[in-house]
Amino acid sequence: MRRAAIAALAATMTLGAIPGAFAEGYESKPEAAERDPDYAAGKKAIADKNWGEAIARLMQAEKRDPDNPDLQNWLGYSHRNLKHYEAAFKHYNRAIELDPRHRGAHEYVGETYLLVGNLAGAERHLAALREICLLPCDELKDLEAAIARYKQR
Amino acid sequence: MRIRLLPPLCACAALAAGGALAHDDESPAKLAGKLGTVNFANSCDPKVQPAFERAVAMLHSFVYNVAEKAFAEIFDEDPTCAIATWGYASILMSNPLAGIGPTADNAKKAQAMLARGRAAGAKTERERDYIEAVGAYYDGWETRPEKERQILRSKAYQAVAAKYPDDDEAQIFNALYLASTQSQADQTYAAYLQAAAVLEREFRKNPDHPGVAHYLIHSYDAPPIAEKGLPAARLYASIAPAAPHALHMPSHIFTRVGSWEESVATNRRSFQASTASGDIPEAYHASDYAVYALLQLGRDADAKRTMDEAMRVTGATPAQTAYTYGASAMAARYALERGDWKSAMRLQVIPSKMPFTDANTYFARALGAARSGDIAQAQAEAANLAAAHKALEEAKNRYWATEVEVQRLAIAGWIAHKQGDAAEGVKLMRAAADLEDRNEKHIVTPGRIVPARELLGDMLLEQSQPAAALKEYETSQVREPNRFRNYYGSMVAARAMGDEAKARQYAGRLVTLTEKGDGTRPEIANAKMVFGQR
Repeated sequence: MRRAAIAALAATMTLGAIPGAFAEGYESKPEAAERDPDYAAGKKAIADKNWGEAIARLMQAEKRDPDNPDLQNWLGYSHRNLKHYEAAFKHYNRAIELDPRHRGAHEYVGETYLLVGNLAGAERHLAALREICLLPCDELKDLEAAIARYKQR
Repeated sequence: MRIRLLPPLCACAALAAGGALAHDDESPAKLAGKLGTVNFANSCDPKVQPAFERAVAMLHSFVYNVAEKAFAEIFDEDPTCAIATWGYASILMSNPLAGIGPTADNAKKAQAMLARGRAAGAKTERERDYIEAVGAYYDGWETRPEKERQILRSKAYQAVAAKYPDDDEAQIFNALYLASTQSQADQTYAAYLQAAAVLEREFRKNPDHPGVAHYLIHSYDAPPIAEKGLPAARLYASIAPAAPHALHMPSHIFTRVGSWEESVATNRRSFQASTASGDIPEAYHASDYAVYALLQLGRDADAKRTMDEAMRVTGATPAQTAYTYGASAMAARYALERGDWKSAMRLQVIPSKMPFTDANTYFARALGAARSGDIAQAQAEAANLAAAHKALEEAKNRYWATEVEVQRLAIAGWIAHKQGDAAEGVKLMRAAADLEDRNEKHIVTPGRIVPARELLGDMLLEQSQPAAALKEYETSQVREPNRFRNYYGSMVAARAMGDEAKARQYAGRLVTLTEKGDGTRPEIANAKMVFGQR
């Protein structure tokens, strides 16, 4: 996961989830998920790189919000850092199932495939990102770079 | 008890209420008039019955502030009327089909009122079940996402409806909250159609019920099923003409089927009722729908007058989506639907708290600039759209992020096209159209500022690919029927293909569509020529 994403997460922790003014008038209120104490604690644990705690708290939040692709993505990321690759794939794939255009999940699952030596798997998600990112996106660039580095090893 | 709610409100109701329900008398402009027939059996004191039935009728037509006050006053008047706290909490959920839910303050108010209702103890098990059903939504409200609350509410009402199969109100509220679980990504419209099946039965039994007609319109508010909503749409305004929302809602169906005259008429009434009752966002919402319809009819002067009249109404805030969306969309539509690219480029952003309403203006300015050949301004506006998109993504607002992504793709496509990269232009514009087709339009809008697939048709036409253009125009007609620019593009494409019969067919449709219009747009003169009228 990009350092920028972690920095943004840390900033969110500090500043509060979503600017309050954005709450009004939205089709849904995603900040409500952020107010879930377990979800918030899980994200704080990720910012602190406390992966075990992150998984425990996010799994509590998952019981109340099982269809949240971001939550699944964070679970995948936490498992990946503990080298629980099977669990990481499960959560990343669930995130993509819930939101097939989830750019972050495509990037991170692609990177996870590289960690287990599965270049073809990473390239499948690179292809998906090329379809999604007709307008330039960081996730595509980052996965391209990761694959290029992998090939140079 | 069955009460026919007729104007004038008050002689009968105030007498029955022992004169205690002064609220009704205080707000005659807000409440005078018919709200439909509701039969909600309850154990409250007879003196509050008329007011209670009327409050439930208002709940069914989303008359928010007045109904909130009415339920509170009923509970004050009869502290044993615990079911009034159910009504109070229900109206504070706001429009359940918008997926927004109450503000945090309103949720607290609802929870406090429900606690009072539970403490008072309803006299019947059925009333207690209703209170617990709305309680399922509010209990733990602070820690649940709106989607989860919606599902809990729907399950609770499903249980109430199953337990009381002869209770029409239980069936109707169950249908409403079931329809409210409809995902905008589900194009089988499963929840809508399940709700509609219940409501159709109720419609036969209760043809004057405001909720039945109202929720049928919502349950059919999707392109392939909209025709089924026409009977309810044509009745609802006459069932509850006192409710501004009832005057507006039929136009959701009229827009879907391209019945513009009906949309204009009902939104005109809604605008007047909304301004009279001080519901400013609803006034803008109705005006946006009316302007959309008027522009399809070529009634440009009326569209301008309607927009200007709305823009003179003050009192809305930048946090009110219906206001900021309506205000920004009307101006964008007025320029783009008339092909007035220069005016589109000069539009001003309506200050808002919502990046997706700002995006309406960025999109219009960008399209105006691109189509005028001003690539530098188009690129600047594309950057504004990218910032709005990023803000929505960071807020995890997927729906509106996708809508703005469609706009970004479209603008990138037009920039590429105008820079001479025809293939890249079509690729991006097609991606925009495909993405838009997979994302249902939101109820805040009668339609996208310009349908992406129609824009794809325009681009293909400029690239001298009339057959491909016509295909896109005709595909667009399925979801966005009876549109001025579509018919004109179709006519031009057919002519370029040498298909004079089809060109004449589309010219005829455009001439018919605009026969009460100003006749000022050059497209109308061209259509008349092709149709053989001049």
